[in-house]
Amino acid sequence: MKKAFNQNWIENLKIQETASSWLSKNLISADQLSTIKAVFAEHFYRPGIFIKIGLFLFAIIACSFFAGFASIFLSGGGSDAAIVVLSLVCLGGYAFSLEYLIKTRNLFHSGVDNALLYSAIGAAMTPVFILFNNLEIWQYCIFMLFIFLFAVLRYADFFAALGLFAVILTLVATLLVKFPLGKALLPFAVMALSAAIYLAVKRIKDTYYHDRAKLLEVLSLVTFYLGGNYLVVREGNAFLNELNAPVSPQVAFAPLFYFFTIIIPLAFIIGGVRKKDRILFILGLLSFAFSVFTYKYYFGFLTPAQGITVAGALMILLAVASIKYFHTAKHGITDEQDSKRKFANLEAIIVAQQIGQSPQHGGPEFGGGDFGGGGAGEAY
Amino acid sequence: MNTRSILRALADSGIISSPQSAVIEKFETEKPFSIHSELRSVLYLGIILFGGGVGVIIYENIDTIGHQAIIGAIACVIIVCFYHTYKNRLPYTSSEVENPNKFSEYSLLLGCTTFLALEGYLQFQYQTFGTRYGLTVLIPTIIFFFCAYRFDHRGVLSLAVTGLASWLGLTIAPMSILAGNDFTDIRIIVLAILLGVMLVALGWTSDRYRVKRHFSFTYLFMGGNLACLAALTGLFTHDYKIIYFLIAGGLCYFFILRSREEQSLIFLLMGVIYGYVIITYALFTTFGDTAAALLATYYFLFSSIGVIIFLLNVKKFLGIKK
Repeated sequence: MKKAFNQNWIENLKIQETASSWLSKNLISADQLSTIKAVFAEHFYRPGIFIKIGLFLFAIIACSFFAGFASIFLSGGGSDAAIVVLSLVCLGGYAFSLEYLIKTRNLFHSGVDNALLYSAIGAAMTPVFILFNNLEIWQYCIFMLFIFLFAVLRYADFFAALGLFAVILTLVATLLVKFPLGKALLPFAVMALSAAIYLAVKRIKDTYYHDRAKLLEVLSLVTFYLGGNYLVVREGNAFLNELNAPVSPQVAFAPLFYFFTIIIPLAFIIGGVRKKDRILFILGLLSFAFSVFTYKYYFGFLTPAQGITVAGALMILLAVASIKYFHTAKHGITDEQDSKRKFANLEAIIVAQQIGQSPQHGGPEFGGGDFGGGGAGEAY
Repeated sequence: MNTRSILRALADSGIISSPQSAVIEKFETEKPFSIHSELRSVLYLGIILFGGGVGVIIYENIDTIGHQAIIGAIACVIIVCFYHTYKNRLPYTSSEVENPNKFSEYSLLLGCTTFLALEGYLQFQYQTFGTRYGLTVLIPTIIFFFCAYRFDHRGVLSLAVTGLASWLGLTIAPMSILAGNDFTDIRIIVLAILLGVMLVALGWTSDRYRVKRHFSFTYLFMGGNLACLAALTGLFTHDYKIIYFLIAGGLCYFFILRSREEQSLIFLLMGVIYGYVIITYALFTTFGDTAAALLATYYFLFSSIGVIIFLLNVKKFLGIKK
């Protein structure tokens, strides 16, 4: 598959980023870094995240009104054939603009190209849904699989990779639930599939796909854990078999899923530390939190507020103890700051959103504000 | 590409020597795994959960035996936190203070969130401040403003700003502005615009006169969103549209200029999005419904392309170097 972006520039970008991190550790000199930037140059248009968001929003508006604009000439009374022609014309327009802008403006995941790509994907899918409107889900999935695969291989796009992963998972799941045995084996199939995808993307060495491989790593680890999580399996089982009991019934192999729920987060955390794999480590922490929630969901004896308070207190104690313990590096772990703090402003706003909303408890005199303190509960 | 292939590429082009390359490779393979930011996130989240949970627990346990004990425990937490912050304080300066103590920033935040819970409860149970409800909100607000400046803490500053807003009967938390405020009441709109503009002015002043310059983001972002959303709602639903149009337009213009001086593009995004909405609305109401229906497709297609061209060349237009 021919790649849309300049492979050399992407590799140079990676070299520059690595070299900058070495400069902050005083491993190379500032002169060396500027030589590196000159020798390994890249000329992508890479605006900051906020400009990207703006570009993306307005490009999506432009794309949808381009479709509206084209429909003035092509709608032809709204027959199926006319809509198919319209979406093919739009597809052509989006794809041409996408390629043209990447070539001339050196776009590189800059917002506009993302918006054009998604519009093109949407336009490519519309004819299939219009022309074949009574296919089964898995047949649509196969078609979407090819479109997403193309988008990922050529553009290495974030949401295309996300879509590809979702489509593969949906494909396998919808085929399996057709059979009674398949329903029972679904959790194991999800885990096996996730493990296979994880091992496969771990082998990708091409820098062009580096970030997307990381994304697929995250997704496959998440589905691997959720496939074995007791809560997901038990509630999912009740949902798939349409059991409308107030309490979903116990599942087969329950001890095995208890075991998975406990052991997978621990394995992630330990593996993350051992292999210095940050993705594994962070997902280990998050899945551990979800495992605690799973336990509390079935065997909890605390009210939600008590649960949140105890969890918060434990997290504070654990974090403080670890920060003190790892003050000097031990067992290959350290508390030393790796990179500069990036989200100080954002953190402040989060505090305001979560706790700051009007301290009083239901005082009618204060109009506006609502009591937002408990809001963090669901997220936990 | 991995460390080794990057090092080989750099060594091949003669930028780094082979001993230096060996040093870097040794460093990369032997450096310990840093869990600094993960631990800070766990700590931060723990404080937010604890502060939120405690606020509810107090009310859940009114009339039980453990009640006094819970109040006592919370009071102890507050005292310990503030004492820890006070003990590790640094002298006040108007620039950003980097406290070498690892926990002082977090103990202050924990102290403030639990104080909020306790103080609200004391008023609820014992009417500590009688019927002067405003005082219940104003006291923590003043304390938080003082702490934010004295101990240099952005999180506490944003708590203070939310407190100030709720003293006036407004909700300022960015995701809750539209849901939390009753903008059908014209008084609320005017109040929100006034507070928002005042905060924006405060943010601008703190940047201009270099008093805690790093606070200006919090003021500008929170105040700007409040004022812009209030002015937009006023523009859509109330009379005297021209006044709201001028206020919102002026703020957008200010934000776009701000982004140039501060090299902070989030304000550019705010200015462009709010600006686009008000200009679009103004054009469509001026030309009436029929013209709007006819021209909408062309207008949105070409105006959004125009905005894209502006954003693609924004650094040139605004003279931003970064």
